[in-house]
Amino acid sequence: MSRAVTVANLSKNYGRIKALDDISFEVDEREIFGFLGPNGAGKTTAIKIMLGLTRAAKGHVEIFGIDVQSKPDKARENIGYVSQNLSLSNEITGYENLLISAKLYGVPSSIRKSRITEIMDLLGIQNRADDLVKKYSGGMMRRLEIGAALVHRPKLLILDEPTIGLDPQIRLVVRELLRRLVNEFGITIFLTTHDMGEADELCEKIAIINNGRIGVVGTPTNLKRSVGGDTIQFDTKEPEKAVSILTGKFGVTKPIAKNNTISMIVNTAETILPLLINTLARAGVIVDAIHSHRPTLDDVFLKYAGSRLAEVEREGDYRHVKEVRRTFRRMR
Amino acid sequence: MFTILEKTAVILELELRKMKHDQSDLLIRAIQPVLWLTIFGSVFRQFRQLPIGDVSYLSFITPGVLAQSVLFIAIFTGVSLVWERDLGQLDRLLAAPAPRTSIVLGKAFSGGVKGLFQAGVIFAIAFVMGVDLIPNPIYILGVIGVVFVFGVCFSSMSIFVTTLLNTRERVMGMMQLLTMPLFFASNALYPIEIMPRWLQIVSLINPMSYVVEALRALMITGDLSRLPIALGGMAIATFIFIGAAALAFRRVGR
Repeated sequence: MSRAVTVANLSKNYGRIKALDDISFEVDEREIFGFLGPNGAGKTTAIKIMLGLTRAAKGHVEIFGIDVQSKPDKARENIGYVSQNLSLSNEITGYENLLISAKLYGVPSSIRKSRITEIMDLLGIQNRADDLVKKYSGGMMRRLEIGAALVHRPKLLILDEPTIGLDPQIRLVVRELLRRLVNEFGITIFLTTHDMGEADELCEKIAIINNGRIGVVGTPTNLKRSVGGDTIQFDTKEPEKAVSILTGKFGVTKPIAKNNTISMIVNTAETILPLLINTLARAGVIVDAIHSHRPTLDDVFLKYAGSRLAEVEREGDYRHVKEVRRTFRRMR
Repeated sequence: MFTILEKTAVILELELRKMKHDQSDLLIRAIQPVLWLTIFGSVFRQFRQLPIGDVSYLSFITPGVLAQSVLFIAIFTGVSLVWERDLGQLDRLLAAPAPRTSIVLGKAFSGGVKGLFQAGVIFAIAFVMGVDLIPNPIYILGVIGVVFVFGVCFSSMSIFVTTLLNTRERVMGMMQLLTMPLFFASNALYPIEIMPRWLQIVSLINPMSYVVEALRALMITGDLSRLPIALGGMAIATFIFIGAAALAFRRVGR
């Protein structure tokens, strides 16, 4: 198996903000590799550098052995890019969009037509080829967007939040399409997501990214295993006291308090729960509510990025989804 | 070089295809020149003091109105570029293996083509209103050439300004600010001789004056003596603005 993407020691600042801080990772051929992190983690910046749209302050990127900084156009011939926003022209037809993409990427005129038909069939939108894109549904737009990135048969497909703003059912369709691209066409996929479920289900390898740093890279299964056990979460009115009591006990290294909620990772929750409640009660700390669960990628995120993904992004994400939905509407 | 031209053609094709599906923009824009000729032209033809030679006032301003309507269309090229960038549509072009200059050129050329539609409309209206147009096909070809280059020139200017200003609101404001002096500090509506001295100097560096002069020579007067100067002025302005736009556009998205 050869290497599709090599990213080494990449750093990028926007003013005083460190958008990327010395990140490195590798993507093997025919792999689905995901960046999991909240908005503002540096995902889009990383993509921009991989595409040669933005220059890195430090480090380098190779796409199938081609250095992106020195030969961006050459590298881009191997890349299909699906941006977070809808980048198609909604004032022209689906067919025309694919045609323009094909010409832009230099697909020879002799095979252009057959290539486009092939893609229309693959996406299941052949009967809407001659409709204006503004009349498409959000899911069809997204599929066409992916199609437009495939006309030149790229070896690597880069997708920035491919399912953001889509209904759950359509998300499944898009994920299925991506899986087919890997299995049937041998394409390598690099995608970013803030959706743990998506990362877990779709990606073979994940990098946890937060504040411009990669916390860890691994397969979802290994990462969840690496969390080392179950998570216990409880609410109390005396979080500081609870933390000081629990630190070092039950194999917990450091409980993390957020407002009045305390999260900690233990070996087996079933046996530790009663002990924990007793210990706290003896010290006079009242537990208002408690629950435990098996490791998820959110726990992985907690361990390697120091916070819960859902909490980091709740506010920003909501705004972001709203914005993407607005562009969907604007396109129509 | 070949790649740039090839990709420029693709960007131009994209723009023309958009235009093909939605001509409402062009139709609405054709209304304004009609109003200039019918309202402004009909009133101001009553003043006989303007030293415009032995042509009617309506004939005098027809090339000016044509230049103005091409100016408005061209200025909008930049506005639509910011709009596309904000929507994310520009990302796709930037991420393609196409030189950035070809994006600038493709957009600018589309401004030129749109200008030609305006020319067609204005020729038709002027004909109906009894303006004495020179029916020589070579002169008409000349008009087509001038209008196209002018469209490219001001589209490039608007791309340049857009790229510098960055937000839609600023761009809109700036364009409105620019169109007024470009139009009125030129020979579009009255001869330069009647302007105060300082304004005459301004009109001398206003590319619009050269365009109107060339159009007036080719459409109305047939006096080609000053045509080389007019074309020279236009060519210089066009090269400067294309260069400036291409340079400024390198920053976009970085």
